[in-house]
Amino acid sequence: MTPALDQRIRQLRSRVLVRSWDYRQRRHARGIWFRLRRLLADASQAYAITRHDAEVLVAEGYRVEPVGRELEPPKLIVFAPAARIAGIASRRPLAVQLSADLILADCLALVPFQDDTEARL
Amino acid sequence: MTFRDRLLATIRAAQPVLEVQGVLVIGSEVPNLLEPGAAATLVVSQLLDIGVPVDRHPTVKRRLDELREFEPSADEPSVWVPRSPGLLELNFVGMDPHQDPAEAYVLEDARLPLLVFGALSLLSLGAVIEVEGTRVPLPRLAGLLLEKLITDRTGEKGERDLLVASALLATAGRADSEELEQAYRRLRPELRHAARSNLTILSLLGPRNGMPDPRLRRAEVAALLRRLEAGEGDLP
Repeated sequence: MTPALDQRIRQLRSRVLVRSWDYRQRRHARGIWFRLRRLLADASQAYAITRHDAEVLVAEGYRVEPVGRELEPPKLIVFAPAARIAGIASRRPLAVQLSADLILADCLALVPFQDDTEARL
Repeated sequence: MTFRDRLLATIRAAQPVLEVQGVLVIGSEVPNLLEPGAAATLVVSQLLDIGVPVDRHPTVKRRLDELREFEPSADEPSVWVPRSPGLLELNFVGMDPHQDPAEAYVLEDARLPLLVFGALSLLSLGAVIEVEGTRVPLPRLAGLLLEKLITDRTGEKGERDLLVASALLATAGRADSEELEQAYRRLRPELRHAARSNLTILSLLGPRNGMPDPRLRRAEVAALLRRLEAGEGDLP
């Protein structure tokens, strides 16, 4: 085997090992990043909102997404319809990406792609 | 000379091996070739990946002498480098339908060794398109998309490969999606998780120059994730 092929196959096998390790971690703390990405994948829009406004949404019955509590510091993440979020004065639109802005936001209001907000109540 | 010109010239020059039954053009050039008129507007690596079924390796080897515009790389004999700047490199990789999708092995050979990627076992012959008189055998879209989604990659290359997956998703029809879902369900749980994980990464990617904007495909990615998850039991 040429050194180049040998190196490529060793790199590939090491990546597969890391992936298997990641897979075994999926229900543990490290799996939070997959769970957070999975949640955000369902969001067509994301907004940073104040804690007060987030708590109002929760009081209205919108479900707190458990993923947010798994972060430190914890984040309050709530899905709500676009029309409801449009009425929140504190809302600040964020790109739906794992950006510093999104990661640093204390509370997130997300608009789902599917109109299934009722299922999250 | 445009990139498209070089791509098509490379395909013409590689025709002796592309004519071997079972050999496929694979990799990131596929969405370029699937664009209307093979417009090749996506920015990808300057190489043409050629998938060689391991049982066709002896036949392909016999055709290598006909590749007069290329020569094997001194460093890596599975790469054939062009003798002129108007062509792209040829990168030969092995495909073994009986291989585990997570494994890889080297098909040892003095003249044309092949790194056989297990994920390529998901590929099979799809459309044979004709581009300016040259026949180009391509893999079925569903298999190629799934291969992109389970192949573990890192860094900028990894993100660009996922953008290629996004470009493939853009051309997929309902039948391709159904085929993708069926192939996905045949994978073992770890690989199914890898596919879903890569879809979540794709969903959150920003735009890159020379690549289709993945943000425009986010709704499709979300819908695909839901379909893949349907029937999965105990998801994290």
